[in-house]
Amino acid sequence: MANAPLNTKSNANPNATATAQPAKIETRLCAITFFARLHPGDVCGSNGLPLTPNSIAILGRAQRLRELEHENLCQYLDVIRGKHERTIVVSEYSGCTLEEHAKRSSLSQTQILRIFYQVACGINVLHAHKLVVHNLEPKHILIQEQDHVKLFNYGLYHMTKGGAYVPFPIGNIRYMAPERLLGANGNIKSDVWALAMMMLELLLQTTLWPKLKLSNIARKILAFGRSNNVLERIAREHDCYNLYQQLDVDVRALLERCLSVPLSQRPLPSELLAYPCFDPQREELRAPSNGTVDAAPLPLLLRCPLSQIYHLWQLAGGDVQAELKKEGLIRSEAPILALPQVVRLNGSSAGPKRSQSYLMDDRIVPLKLNTLVQRLRRLPASVYFPLIHSPRFPYEFAGEMQQLPLVIRERDIEYQFHRVRLFARLLQGYPHTAELLQREAAVDIPPLLRGPVWAALLEVIPNSSYAKIDKFTATSTDRQIEVDIPRCHQYDELLSSPDGHRKLKRLLKAWVTAHPQYVYWQGLDSLTAPFLYLNFNNEELAFLSLFKFIPKYLQWFFLQDNSAIIREYLSKFSQLTAFHEPLLAQHLASINFIPELFAIPWFLTMFSHVFPLHKILHLWDKLMLGDSSYPLFIGIAILKQLKSTLLTSGFNECILLFSDLPDIVMETCVIESQKMYESTPKSITHRKHALRQQPPQTLDIGIDDVELKHLLAEQCPRISAKDVLHLVQHAPGELALIDLRSVVEFARVQVPHSINIPFATVLLGEQRLDALNVPQLEMQLRGRVVVCVSNIHQHAVEFSQFLVACGILRTCILHKGFNVLHSIEPNILIST
Amino acid sequence: MATTPRSGGASGAAQRPNGTSQNKSCQFKLVLLGESAVGKSSLVLRFVKGQFHEYQESTIGAAFLTQTICIEDTVVKFEIWDTAGQERYHSLAPMYYRGAQAAIVVYDIQNQDSFQRAKTWVKELHKQASPNIVIALAGNKADLSNIRVVEFDEAKQYAEENGLLFMETSAKTGMNVNDIFLAIAKKLPKNDGANNQGAGAGRRLNENETNRQTNNCCK
Ligand SMILES: Nc1nc2c(ncn2[C@@H]2O[C@H](COP(=O)(O)OP(=O)(O)OP(=O)(O)O)[C@@H](O)[C@H]2O)c(=O)[nH]1
Ligand SMILES: [Mg+2]
Repeated sequence: MANAPLNTKSNANPNATATAQPAKIETRLCAITFFARLHPGDVCGSNGLPLTPNSIAILGRAQRLRELEHENLCQYLDVIRGKHERTIVVSEYSGCTLEEHAKRSSLSQTQILRIFYQVACGINVLHAHKLVVHNLEPKHILIQEQDHVKLFNYGLYHMTKGGAYVPFPIGNIRYMAPERLLGANGNIKSDVWALAMMMLELLLQTTLWPKLKLSNIARKILAFGRSNNVLERIAREHDCYNLYQQLDVDVRALLERCLSVPLSQRPLPSELLAYPCFDPQREELRAPSNGTVDAAPLPLLLRCPLSQIYHLWQLAGGDVQAELKKEGLIRSEAPILALPQVVRLNGSSAGPKRSQSYLMDDRIVPLKLNTLVQRLRRLPASVYFPLIHSPRFPYEFAGEMQQLPLVIRERDIEYQFHRVRLFARLLQGYPHTAELLQREAAVDIPPLLRGPVWAALLEVIPNSSYAKIDKFTATSTDRQIEVDIPRCHQYDELLSSPDGHRKLKRLLKAWVTAHPQYVYWQGLDSLTAPFLYLNFNNEELAFLSLFKFIPKYLQWFFLQDNSAIIREYLSKFSQLTAFHEPLLAQHLASINFIPELFAIPWFLTMFSHVFPLHKILHLWDKLMLGDSSYPLFIGIAILKQLKSTLLTSGFNECILLFSDLPDIVMETCVIESQKMYESTPKSITHRKHALRQQPPQTLDIGIDDVELKHLLAEQCPRISAKDVLHLVQHAPGELALIDLRSVVEFARVQVPHSINIPFATVLLGEQRLDALNVPQLEMQLRGRVVVCVSNIHQHAVEFSQFLVACGILRTCILHKGFNVLHSIEPNILIST
Repeated sequence: MATTPRSGGASGAAQRPNGTSQNKSCQFKLVLLGESAVGKSSLVLRFVKGQFHEYQESTIGAAFLTQTICIEDTVVKFEIWDTAGQERYHSLAPMYYRGAQAAIVVYDIQNQDSFQRAKTWVKELHKQASPNIVIALAGNKADLSNIRVVEFDEAKQYAEENGLLFMETSAKTGMNVNDIFLAIAKKLPKNDGANNQGAGAGRRLNENETNRQTNNCCK
């Protein structure tokens, strides 16, 4: 763009200085904004589809920066996309710029060294992360009290892919090293040059080329190539040769090395830190500072991690875009003013010039924390620093809050504050806090910490195994992965960014490599997406979460031949539907609406293919707490929600309903599935192919006892003797046992309180309970688990089917029939 | 165009405009087959809703949609099964093409493998599907014909040799999308009741259910 300022400094708005005053304690966060480069309107990628907007690419690249935490770096907190490719970066900001600082008072050599030692520390950290700054200049160096230094806006070059995604050049030319003017970017030593240039400006008490045009400055810098002492040359040119000569020898040596034109002679940041002239600074920083002791104590809030503060700021109504509007950085203009006046057939247009508001404006907008601090001031310190192991824990914080719907809780600032602090504590203590974490997660999970909380619930312990897995060697599944990724939750900005694509690909390839026994099934991409979304900057955690999640809920599903597993699963789903929704199950079976036609994507992806991410998150919050049978209940809860439509619809209408799943209310779905999950005896959900924690015991259903053919033949699930025993002993009120043996057999031995309906005497033709002639039978069955018991298995099967047809809830069959009850010790049977 | 696809089409029997008694209505079961990412779902979406989603989600298992069109005096309702393209889902395919009266086998004109895959599908359909099935071959993504790999003539010749309808289509621009469904509808027998077991065809996914078919179309 021709009119983009090369030197943003010269274009800075005069108001800019207003924001750079010594920061009040409440100013900890700020926003800056710029526009990403627009793709020309009609350009498509080679696949004929629109190109990814550059602002999305920036968003993806910037995520990495949020992970950088170092005392000499301002923390990145967020990147937001506005309209028309506007990109807003939220970051830590405190103190005033070096530019301001130097204007206010002249700095001693010690002070200057102290500052630049810390700058070098910052650069060194970035170098360790394979990043370069390339826009180092005095206004990107923030000085706090006691000359504490933080680099600011140092990620611009990285997030914009070296400026490729933005229409303006990056970096102030005054501090640009010669090689960068020649187009060689990406070397940290260019930042070392910039550091030295800023340092010499201060030491020589001058401003570099104050009156020169940009092109002339560039010429000057390029001419250094012919000089053997850049420092001396600059000193002479700026009439400060005297000061130059008075420079400390060590300092001079350092500057001279840093300003070597050949890169090989310039030191790395780590070498710089070891220079003798920095000896006192090294000492000083090693010694514990006692400064903070006399300073006024920080408000408690400011002792929390900035990411938490920013999250709370948003919950408290903070709106970055609104702040930018207030500062005039976002100006709305009537769109009609931007319409072209002439459009030629080749697509080029003539019209009003682009508005000034599209130009780079490097003002910094502070995000004020006052309101937030005010709102949280009342909270006791124990909420800030919860004592989870004190005997008074759990204190009843906001007990009534927990009665409110989840969406309200998630937006309540005080409640979230409490939850975030608590979970942060619990995560610090994990795995020792696993049990408590589980308990609290059952209440709700604070969205800010969902990624690590899920990982903890899945019992993930990071072990750096991810780094060792081959994610790059080409395999035969690559094509499928490559065509699936650009179709996977692409409405989400992170997942649609090039970085998101790369990460998802790595995760999928790693998972396939790590599981030679499994293959990539379409759908694994959707299954991985929530983990990547939550742990975008922590691929290992995303990977390990997936790694644990699959065996827990989808054991064997990813076998090359998974048909036995899927068929068993879906048959169990049908059985459980009959168990909890007999009439619906009956209807669906009668129109041949089998789960094979609609439920494969549900279960294979644990609903991640059928719902948008924000719904999946709430669904999985609960799923994580249940065992491998939980998803089946989610499936039933979905059917339940659509029950009235399904009951009145034929095959086509039903299947259409599921091809385009209507709005499912997640909260109801979650509550319903939870209820069913809790009211279902464990053995009812028995599947041969589920992952087992312990081997089955004598009264359990044996692993191989129930084959697929049984599942297909029996509409009702089987219950184990163990679960029946449990009901008899601990919850007789929840059990209705129907004994189908003859009157004689029943008289000889029976379970107390069981109902005898000899199978030989009943006519199952009529689907009415009255036809059985048992007085008040319906009342005796209502609200209980109805167990059909016989010694002739087929009798139990047929009778249970009859009960389902009559609409009786929770009907099941005793596995192994009446005789298994004889083996129970101590005996539970009686005779009359 | 003589035909107007009506959107939605979820409601049961096709309506007869003005109650004119000579209007007939038919239902046909149609299945889409082809390599993953060739644009099967996109074609259906274009045909049924007139839309195109760049980031169309991949299909797992299969999806079902319906669309009704009128040709001449007949109202034709398509019951469309859009299947998953990944080879691994192959074992599910018979469930969907069994009993189908029509199939569209799709390939991507910029992907040679997908054309080979299409040929395999055609073979399988000839062997396993109902003998009267009408098969159309669709060379999709025709908007990218400047980077095509599969030549028009090659595919055309293959289609002729195998008795297939053939068109190059683009779900993105809409080119030939309605046309290919229309061509199929024209080729399907509509007067002879014996060939028209369309009604409730979607139901006949289970073999044990075949005797329950209703033969009530083309009233
Ligand atoms: N340029 C272009 N792209 C298309 C066209 N049709 C589909 N696409 C794109 O191709 C990709 C795959 O399309 P889908 O419709 O999902 O393919 P599919 O055959 O249903 O794939 P599976 O569900 O995996 O079997 C998507 O990104 C579409 O946007 C087309 O006509 N032209
Ligand atoms: Mg598809």
